[in-house]
Parts: sequence; structure tokens; C-alpha cells
Amino acid sequence: MKKIAIFGYNRISHEVMSRLNAQLYQILLIETDLKQTNIALQNGFHVIDIDFRSDDNLRSIGIGTDIDVIFCFLPEDGDNVFLILSARAIDEKLFIITLIQNAASTEKLLTAGANKVIDPYEICGKKIYELIKKPDMTHILDHTVFGRHDLNMAEVEIKAGSDLENRLVCELNLNDSHNLILIGIVDKLLGNELQFAITEKQHQLKVGDILVVMGPTREIKAFKKEVNHV
Amino acid sequence: MFDAKNILIKIAYTLDKSARYTKTKAFFFELMENPHSQLRACFDGYMIGLVTLSVFLIIYESKGQFGKMGQLSFAGNFFEKSVVFIFIIEYLLRGWLYSDSRKTILAYHEKVVYLQIPFKLNTILKVIFFEKLAYVRSPLAFIDFLAMLPNYRGWVFLQIFLIFRLIKLLRYSSSIKLFAEVLASKHFELITLAIFMGFLVFISSIAIYLFENSHEGGQVKNIYDAFYWSIVTVSTVGYGDITPKSLGGRLVAISLILSGLGVLSFFTSIIVSAFNDKMHDLRENRTYALLDKHKDFIIICGYGRVGQEVAQQLYKDKQFFVIIDKNKERIFLAKKARFLAIHDDASKNDVLLNAGINRGAAAVLCTVGNDVANVYITLSSRYLNPVIRIIARANRHDNVRKLYQAGATHVIEPFEMAGLLAAEYIGQPVAIEALLGILHEQKQITMDTILVREGSMLEGIALMEIDFAARKLSLIGVISASSSSHRQHRNQYQVEKQHFFFNPERHFQCRKNDILVLLGRDVSIAYFREQVIQSCPKM
Repeated sequence: MKKIAIFGYNRISHEVMSRLNAQLYQILLIETDLKQTNIALQNGFHVIDIDFRSDDNLRSIGIGTDIDVIFCFLPEDGDNVFLILSARAIDEKLFIITLIQNAASTEKLLTAGANKVIDPYEICGKKIYELIKKPDMTHILDHTVFGRHDLNMAEVEIKAGSDLENRLVCELNLNDSHNLILIGIVDKLLGNELQFAITEKQHQLKVGDILVVMGPTREIKAFKKEVNHV
Repeated sequence: MFDAKNILIKIAYTLDKSARYTKTKAFFFELMENPHSQLRACFDGYMIGLVTLSVFLIIYESKGQFGKMGQLSFAGNFFEKSVVFIFIIEYLLRGWLYSDSRKTILAYHEKVVYLQIPFKLNTILKVIFFEKLAYVRSPLAFIDFLAMLPNYRGWVFLQIFLIFRLIKLLRYSSSIKLFAEVLASKHFELITLAIFMGFLVFISSIAIYLFENSHEGGQVKNIYDAFYWSIVTVSTVGYGDITPKSLGGRLVAISLILSGLGVLSFFTSIIVSAFNDKMHDLRENRTYALLDKHKDFIIICGYGRVGQEVAQQLYKDKQFFVIIDKNKERIFLAKKARFLAIHDDASKNDVLLNAGINRGAAAVLCTVGNDVANVYITLSSRYLNPVIRIIARANRHDNVRKLYQAGATHVIEPFEMAGLLAAEYIGQPVAIEALLGILHEQKQITMDTILVREGSMLEGIALMEIDFAARKLSLIGVISASSSSHRQHRNQYQVEKQHFFFNPERHFQCRKNDILVLLGRDVSIAYFREQVIQSCPKM
């Protein structure tokens, strides 16, 4: 079970908390603003009231010991930078996702140690652009992959002893056998970049490679099981 | 007499019903009056050419001997006659366009029938006469009238009619209209100034006449000289052809020059401030004129963070767009980025209409940070154009339904999307990055669609016959408007009126108007699309 700390309650953190499966993740919500705390309480979330500026406070909720992921959703970019710097100093391996208000701050947040920067306005702007340019496709994807239908995109890691080890990408033929579409492979030796399946037909799969597939949730689960004999 | 009434009413009804009549009138309106039409620009250009040519011809052929028209050569005379003929036709057409007499007659007829009072021919003819008289009396019509006068040149001097004809040039340029508007907007100040000027000139004319006329060697011979001198002096031009010799005359000159300075600066400041006020409209007019030249542009309402992002993407894609925002600073930002921007409230009907919602706009984007404003803009846009695409942003989830009700085609929730991505990201960062990279076209690989055109190489073919692998493409699925034309299929998702067949089986047959969703390098997709289009039978 992963432990997650979310700093700041707002519409996005609300959305994240309602999306995350409570059985898989333990979530801590940290908020100091009284008004936001009240709203969070009304919506049925437990709120911890500590000041993120102190390292002791951060340690006290488990950063450096058992927290795996933190979300920095504070309203000011400056606060987020401070929080990221403090948390990164305490825990090297912590996975940090942060929100951004001002597009120009992306670099600062990444330098401070964030793993992923999310700019809601940029996402929204790009989405609108997609809707203008490729209306049919975007509309369908919104309702299937991003929406309520069970179509999904997922990653499957090849662990030691898997059947897929040493096989070529072109031999997999997941379309027919598993009803999945293989989008690409991440070869950890080559870095975190995704290699697209279409251009990497002769790639030989190794332990540690990650396959990115698209398909119905049920088939993805079945495939995951099969790959690693879980 | 009774018959005349009936005939008049009958003619009015026939004209009103006649499609050809309406069409003809609409054509001439486009040609001569509609400020947005391309046709009118051509017409104006043609008329300017005609006027200039005719004036030069007369100056050339008369060789300075003005007043003797008979000296024009045969060709010159013919040309001159035809120019005047065209002017007369133009004058009459404008008079015809000025008001709809048939509508006046019909309205009057209906009123008469309703009130059961007798139809009076005199009354209605009088109304029509006054309508047309209003046209004749309008300044532009007057200029037109003067320009065609020389046809009756028995009593008009050639010099004057040439000048009148040159004045006609002004009619065809829009700047004269603007100048007239500027003057009209400050008419109160200008009248005050004119009255003051009038007194000043009057007093100084009389004074200089009294001092100088009686003085020995005085150059002011009569009251006309005095008036001329006053005007030249008060405007600070001062040619110096008439100069005061007497002490009194010089004192008059000094005071006139000093007050002239004041008057002149006052006049300048009035005109400058009027132009300043108009500057906004002027720029906006330029924006509208630019928009008129484009088709399929996009109206972005709200240039906040989201609007900026969209504008940048569209700019990269060379898609034409216009921005509307209430906020002055944001408009300044947009203009700095050299985007076309209108500083106004996008929820107003006339603003949207001016921005071209019914003249070539392909989509309206409501990207204001305030949901109330978005709903209002969506509603206004939908009311003005029932078929346009409206993409609206909802900041709160509760407002999504309201936006759809207001008429939005798509609603986007930035905060929900960000939340969804953040939540998905911790589970599978690679997959999400891949998906975003594909969608945002940051990688070389993109996802795009290809339409199965009627009669193209794809229509009626089974998927296994298309070698996607050889084309370096991978098929994600097929979007189809109906499920009935396809056999039952394992992964079928219904999205509103469309059906999405994910990873369709090999025997899946493409029907016309199906859309293939493909993943691949942009070049591969473009090449495949090209092939499909070329395989279509030529129209």
C-alpha cells in the first residue's frame, strides 16, 4: 500500500482524492487555511493542520520514512518550490508531483526536485486545440480512455522469469492474442524515453522493460497476470 | 384613379414576392453599399479609376483652354459622355437602394386595410417622395449629383465641374467617412469655435478696413481685402501680400495674431482628441476588415492562461483566429504577441457579430476563468449561430450541464483533467507521458484520423487487406456513425451518436464515412491520407 501526502485542498486535489482507490493508497491531506479546511471537512476528508515550512513537521507525517508520493497543490508557486526543496532534502527517492500557476516557473520547480509538473491551464489549452484540430478522435478518446468506458492505457513491466523475456516485439502480436494494442516500450538501458512499437519491431525484450499497452481493463489485467505469472 | 391604386399595390406585391427582384437588389447592395463585401471594393476601385481618367482626359484634350468643351476629340467626347452616363446610372441605383418603396406601399396598404380607411394615393406617393428626397439631400448624393452635372454644361464652367468631379473621389474612400465622423462627434466644440472665429474675423476685418483703407499707402482696398487679410493672419499663415501700414492696423494685426494662436491650438486639440477617441474604433475596424478576408477562423473569448495556450498552438498551426477580452492588460499582451484582438465584452451580440460569428468563423472558444461569463458567451453564440462549434471551459463540475444546456458542443474541465492526470500519474507515469506525448504531438509519433471517403481505395475493404505494418502505422480503432452497417464486434463503445470499435478484427469492413484512428509518424499518416484522397474518383 502506497502512502500519499497531498498539500493544499482545492478542486484538483479533490479530484485526485476521489480518483485514487482508497484500498490501494493511504492518503494524508494537509491544509492550513481555515476556509479550505472547512470545505474539505464538509466533503468528508480528514485534514491534518501542520505548517509545511518546518522540516520537523514534514518528518512527523512520514516524509523520509513511509510516504512514497507527495502532491504539492499549494496555491502559490513559491510555496510549492519551498515544499519541494524541503521534501527532496529529506527524502531522495520521494516521488513529487506539483501544480503550477505561472508557466514560467516550470524550470524552477523541476530544478527544485519535482518529478512531474502539472499545468492545468496548459493541459486545458492543448485539449481545446485538439478538439479543434481532431474533433472526432479527441471526442472518442475523452469518452473511452479518459472517460467512463473501460478502455485504458497501462504499463506492464517485464519481471525476471517472464515468458516475454528475449522475445522480439514483432512476435508478440497482442492485437489478436490479447485484444491489446502495443503502443511502445521503455528500455531502461536507453533511459526513460518511450520507444514506439511501430518503429522498434526488432527490439528484443529484456527484464525491466516496460510495455505500454492500450485496451479494455479486463484484458489488461489478464495480460499483466500472464506476463509475470502472478 | 381607382385603377392606379390597384396597379400600385399589385406591383408592390409582385415585386415583394419576386425572388429575382430581391436577388437583384441584394446584388447591387453588395456592389455599392455593403462595407464588408469584396465586390464593393472592386466597384470603388473601378469608379476611382474612371473619375481620374476622365479628369485627366479633359485636362489633356482641352490644352488649358477651359470653358470650350467643343474642342474634345470624338473619342474623348464619347468617353466623357459614357462616364457621365455611368454616373447617372450609379446615382439612380443608389437612390433605388436608399429605401424600399414597395415595403412602404405594402405597410401602408396593410394599415389601411386594418383600420378600414380609404387608400389615398397622394399620401403614399408623398411618403415615397420624401423618402427619396432624403436621399437627394444627403451630402454624398449631392456630390454625385454635382459630378454628373457637366452633361448640362451650357451653364456651368468647366473648372468648377472638374473640381466637383474630383471631390467625388472622396466618396469612394472610407477615410473621408471617418473624418466626417470625427468632426461630427465634436460638433459642439467646433460650433463654439466657429462662432468665436466668426466674431474675431468680423471685428478684425472691419477694424483693419477702417485703419488701413483711409491710411496713405494702405493696401486694403475694400472689405474683401480686409476679410482675406484677417483669415490669412488669424490662421498664422501670413502671406505678407497685404501688410498693415498704420499704427492702428499693426495693433489689430498683433491682437489678431495672438488670438489666432489660441484659436488654432484649440482647434488642433479638438481634432486630436477626437481622433484619439476614434483611434479605438479605427483599430477595431482594421481588425474587422482583416477578419473579413479570412474563412474558417476561430474566435477565442478570454485571453487568460488557457486562451493564451490555445492561441499559441493555433498560431503554430497557422490557423487564423481573433481574441476577444474585456481586460485591457490581456488585450495588450495579445497585441504584443501580434495576435488579432478586440477589447470588448464577448457576451454582447454585436461584438460577436462584428467578430464574424456569422461570417466565416468556424468555432467559438469560451475560455474565460469565470463560469457565469462562459455560460453567457456560450448562450449568446448559440443564439447567433445555431450550427457553430462552441467549446467551453467549466471551472466547476456543477456547471458542465449548464454549459451544455446553453448550447456548448464540448465542455472542458481543466481542474478535473489535471486531477485525473495527477492521480493516474502515480500509478503509471510512463503510460500517461506516452499518451500526452502522442496527443500533444511532442514526439514524432502522433495519433490522427483518416476518413474513408466514398469511392476511395478503403471503401468496402476488409482491414486485413490493408497492410498497416508495411506503412509503419498501427490501427487503434475505427469510428463509425452507425453500428448497424458493421457486424457485431467485440470492443464496441458507444459515444453519443458515434461508435468506436477498438482494435477491430481482421475481417472488419470499412464503410464510407468511417474514420480510422491511426498511430504512427506524422509523415506516414500524411502519406497514407494522400494515397486515400488520390484513389477517390475525380469529381
